[in-house]
Amino acid sequence: MNQRHIHPAEAELYVLGEMEPEAAAALEAHTLECAPCAAVLQREALLEEQLREVAQATVPEPQPQVLRPARWSRPARAAVGVLLAAAAAVALVLLRPEQADPSPPQNDFPILALPESLPEEPLRLVACPDLSSQEACAAQAFARGLMVQYPQGVGEVPRYDGHAGLPPGVLEADGPYSL
Amino acid sequence: MGAALVQPLRIAVRQEEESARSRGGGREDEAELAQRALEGDRTAWDALIARYHHRVVVSLLARGVRVDRAHELAQETWARLVQQQQKGLLRELRLPSLAITQAAYLAADEARRQRREALAGSVEELPEAHHPVDPSASAERRLLSEEQLSRAQATLSQCSTSARRIFLLACDGQELPHAEVAARVGLSVQRVRQILCEVRKKLRSALEEEAAP
Ligand SMILES: [Zn+2]
Repeated sequence: MNQRHIHPAEAELYVLGEMEPEAAAALEAHTLECAPCAAVLQREALLEEQLREVAQATVPEPQPQVLRPARWSRPARAAVGVLLAAAAAVALVLLRPEQADPSPPQNDFPILALPESLPEEPLRLVACPDLSSQEACAAQAFARGLMVQYPQGVGEVPRYDGHAGLPPGVLEADGPYSL
Repeated sequence: MGAALVQPLRIAVRQEEESARSRGGGREDEAELAQRALEGDRTAWDALIARYHHRVVVSLLARGVRVDRAHELAQETWARLVQQQQKGLLRELRLPSLAITQAAYLAADEARRQRREALAGSVEELPEAHHPVDPSASAERRLLSEEQLSRAQATLSQCSTSARRIFLLACDGQELPHAEVAARVGLSVQRVRQILCEVRKKLRSALEEEAAP
């Protein structure tokens, strides 16, 4: 026996492929000499395979669509996109906090990041009236666990969840939904 | 106003780089790699093998194969797939599922052979001594019982929509890297890992729960 016994957490790391190669090799070697640890590893591997079976047997629900203007695919305009994104999101939420009428959105409304569940009362807006106050707003929104998505990737920064009074059916739409 | 905006952008760029690294140059190259492998490109095969070998080994471990033998069977699996490609028998290359299926077949085949030999020999040599689960019994059938599946799905339906979506993206068999999942749902890689870990934990207790008597 060339090693201490395997902790389930280590077996999980191994199964997920997140273990350093030497550690993984040592773990493998141990399971060849220790039946109980081989069983721990098998159990972990079995769970991983079962999770995949669960996922494959579960019909994915219609996904919320993230609407992106085509321009977002052009990296050169990313910075502009961010500016517009922030401005538009702010404007939208400020102007229409609980408006149900799907009137045409602003030109560059950047994103419809749908909240996990619709708020029971109208969103108390984390108001960001202009870009100069964004930092403060960001901190405030962050404290509430909101995230923001940026055109070229995702940052750990707040999102102004534009709960924009979406018409019914948008969430179930198969493709991008034209407002 | 500049400072506040520069920060998120920098983060975004860094994460793009990270995601590009961890998925080996983009998801699109997956299809291209498979195509090149189908045309016999050895480096494409090597890249695919490096990417999926561990998954194949884990799938064998789940079926009760010893880890040393699991590595050997996984190697043999790749060798056979390359052979089939060279003979023109492979029309499409859907990985890792094709490799996992091939490996399960090899494991089942071997277990059957061993059992025949063991039955002819002494009782102490029964392969079950080395195999907590008999691979020949489990290779063809699913690893989940119906009860486990419905318990797991009930648990899954209690998770948040986004957690459910992340789990399905990460585990539906396409092996989407975490960075790619993160990009699709608009969260950080770290957050995606956290969520996956939580869902795993919940599903684990649902799967391991003893069936009600
Ligand atoms: Zn041990």
